[in-house]
Amino acid sequence: MSPQEANRPRVGVVKLASCDGCQLTLLDLEDQLLPIAQRFELVEFPEATSRRSAGPYDVLLVEGSVSTPQQAEEIVHLRSRTQLLVTIGACATAGGIQALRNWADEPSWRAAVYPTPEYVGSLATSTPVSEHVQVDAELRGCPIDPGQLLELLTALRIGRRPQLSGESVCLECKRRGNVCVLVAGGQPCMGPLTQAGCGAICPAYGRACYACFGPREQANTESLHRWFGQERELIQVDRLFAGFNAWAPPFREPAGRAVAAAHPGEGADAPDR
Amino acid sequence: MIGIAPAPPGYLPRSELDRLIAILRDEGRTVIGPIARDGAIVYDEVTSTSDLPAGWTDDQAPGRYRLSQTGSPRLFDFTVGPQGWKRYTQPPRVPTGTAVREDGSVRFEAAVPDPPRLAFLGVRACEIAAMLVQDRALAAGPFVDDDYRARRAAALVIAVQCTRAGSTCFCTSMGTGPEVTEGHDLVLTELDDGFLVEVGSQEGARLMQTLETDPALDTHRAAAAAGVASARATMAGQGVAAEGLPARLMDRLDSPRWIEVADRCLACANCTMVCPTCFCTSVGAVSDLDGMVSTTERHWDSCFNGDFAKVAGGNFRPRRQDRYRQWLTHKFATWHDQFGTSGCVGCGRCITWCPVGIDVREELAAIAPPYEAQLPPVARPPSLDNLVPLPLISVPPNVLAPAEREVDTIVAAVVGVGSETIDTFTLRLEPRDHAILDVSPGQFVMVHQPGFSPIPISVSRVADGLLWLTIRAAGPATQALVRVEPGAEVGLRGPLGEGWPLERAMGRDVVIVAGGIGLAPLRPVIDELLRRPEQFGSVLLAYGARTPQDRLYTGELDTWRRAGLEVSEIVDRAGAEWLGQVGVVTQLLDRRDWRSRDAVAFLCGPERMMTATVSALRTAGITRRRIFVSLERHMDCGIGICGHCQMGPFFVCRDGPVFSVSELGDLFGREGI
Repeated sequence: MSPQEANRPRVGVVKLASCDGCQLTLLDLEDQLLPIAQRFELVEFPEATSRRSAGPYDVLLVEGSVSTPQQAEEIVHLRSRTQLLVTIGACATAGGIQALRNWADEPSWRAAVYPTPEYVGSLATSTPVSEHVQVDAELRGCPIDPGQLLELLTALRIGRRPQLSGESVCLECKRRGNVCVLVAGGQPCMGPLTQAGCGAICPAYGRACYACFGPREQANTESLHRWFGQERELIQVDRLFAGFNAWAPPFREPAGRAVAAAHPGEGADAPDR
Repeated sequence: MIGIAPAPPGYLPRSELDRLIAILRDEGRTVIGPIARDGAIVYDEVTSTSDLPAGWTDDQAPGRYRLSQTGSPRLFDFTVGPQGWKRYTQPPRVPTGTAVREDGSVRFEAAVPDPPRLAFLGVRACEIAAMLVQDRALAAGPFVDDDYRARRAAALVIAVQCTRAGSTCFCTSMGTGPEVTEGHDLVLTELDDGFLVEVGSQEGARLMQTLETDPALDTHRAAAAAGVASARATMAGQGVAAEGLPARLMDRLDSPRWIEVADRCLACANCTMVCPTCFCTSVGAVSDLDGMVSTTERHWDSCFNGDFAKVAGGNFRPRRQDRYRQWLTHKFATWHDQFGTSGCVGCGRCITWCPVGIDVREELAAIAPPYEAQLPPVARPPSLDNLVPLPLISVPPNVLAPAEREVDTIVAAVVGVGSETIDTFTLRLEPRDHAILDVSPGQFVMVHQPGFSPIPISVSRVADGLLWLTIRAAGPATQALVRVEPGAEVGLRGPLGEGWPLERAMGRDVVIVAGGIGLAPLRPVIDELLRRPEQFGSVLLAYGARTPQDRLYTGELDTWRRAGLEVSEIVDRAGAEWLGQVGVVTQLLDRRDWRSRDAVAFLCGPERMMTATVSALRTAGITRRRIFVSLERHMDCGIGICGHCQMGPFFVCRDGPVFSVSELGDLFGREGI
């Protein structure tokens, strides 16, 4: 074993309720995979290896939301086995698209989706990891950005703070030289409320941002909602918030209204959080 | 412009404009001009007139921009689009240098500017004004953004007169247009069939000769003048009341409108991104996985961002209302103090491209209405403010000259690391170039570790050829710094800033009030006072700390006492082992018999502690002019060009960090500044 490989930080990648897309971002770092493997010991990574580990971990990357009673127990156990816990992706940081059920009558949805609903052990809510245990850092997005993942790993290795800005997508969009799809195109772009990190991909292709990175610091939801509401029905505006980050506190109110409008009688029963 | 042979205007048929583009390209220039793309007019490379947006015109309103086709053959029949030329003079991302670790040592290489030879085609009067404003911010010294200066010097400016104006245009009220009068090489006015061509520089005159234009007829000139007059007429009544605006605005720092506008403002930073004069940047580090080779890169940043005014201990502008006030007061008021001109050129981009249509003209009228609107005419105070015309924007003689001061990164080796408290350490560094040791008490250096962004650290002593830096491990960068082993190398830039004015203390008693780690930048003062005690009166050091364990330099306090300093200490809280006083540092001042009212005071500590101390000292009869404070702000560049530490008329890094309380005025201790 080379000196470089000795004392490698033990890194685990685990998943809760999620689609595995964020884990796959690690594999997407193709050219960097070998250097990363030389510097970090990947002790658990279900998308890459069937080898399992009981920990302990120096760093644990957690994908997915807490959606079942088992996951709620597991995340508490995992937290006790790791030095640093980093959530990756919208599910882990905000509850994911599956958090739309937080406003719904969960048993009736379960019965509508599964032929044998009694086999499904599910919580009434899908919640972010940070509602259960302390989180040291988070990578946003659905899925996360490979550049931000590499930045996180580089920062861990060098011992500095990862440069993950809380700024709006608009800065990346303007730096990139995109024409604003909101002002020039009249599209309901969520960029002004959304945390940067994706590189403003969607507006670069003429499409409005749909906030997959979630609300940014001091997101002024009410103001943009009012502005969009001048030319649109309110339900259309509410739906903009009912995406992967619907359960994120700045988006929760309009998202809840959108679910209630789609399922009359259910949104009003939203758990009081 | 001085020194240009007067050249009569020429006339160029529209079909001949291609010749101008061809000449520029033949001379090795890339021509950047307007093109219609993605629903807007943007500036990008043009290779012929067929790239130009023939017949396109724009309709602009707050939060709204639409292009439409008129079928006209005109090539410049629109106003300004989302991009200013700063994309080319101050690009969104610019590498500033590389740091390499090799065999235990480090090497720093500054990026050498290598600007492309560009020709800007279609620059409007407000946009030229914006370049001249940025020249003052980035290239007027004492420090200079070398990359910006090189890009500006390498670019040719071919202006176009505005013959129409949009609803968001207000250059007339800012005194920047619509006529192009300076800062250009050539200026075109588009007419029905061609262009009136006029010369603005020697380079322009040379081009004009090569171009072989026809002589312009009186009818051409009259049509051109009528076009510009029409643009001017459109803007009547849609501007801002600019006369006396800086004073009016600074009088309204407590306006309730700041809260109201913050209810609409998204703090998304679009206004600052599209503003052609906003110049704020941040430095980030990009490295390989091991930090062996890292590059620093400067990128556009904005005072609307949450991290912009953040320091390890907190955020100086946490709320949207703080950030909107910062932007508007800087742009329209304190910009005058700093650069002798308004920061606004009236292009209207911030209005059009605000996603929720906030109109600065409306906000200014609501926050800082003209005095006649505030007071009945009879009661109106005579004010010079209302009479002084706006300062003309013109290029100061030193602009685009090389920097008066250069600050290269000097490699220094860590000789020793000593522990002061549980989280605070003093590094002793031996620089390879001893010039950096010529430090005035209170100055700071930027410390650069490869893989990290540079951070500012006050010098806490210079002794025996070594620079001492006392560092609290408050974040990862400082933690890494205090963990370095002797022999390791770091980069230093400096010394920077204005330190304590010891000359003001000569012959007087000196009061030094320090809080916690605030003693570090004051220790060089104490060293200096003890070096030549005959030149000063009595010296009191009042030192407050959170706990006895948080006190710095405890081993030296007795040495200072023996040398004649009166040292009083107090802590916020302590256990039974502490036999000294418990309370706040002002208690050490209240109990004194203040016979010496002409004393000079030097303060450094948390801002709240300093404001309380200033009150106590003023009660004791010491005037604000003789109380000096060292301010903490987010410093990113250290040389006054990144904008982070701007505070009223100052950049704290360049004009401070030490200020007299009187020069800070009512900005000192104010929330959200």
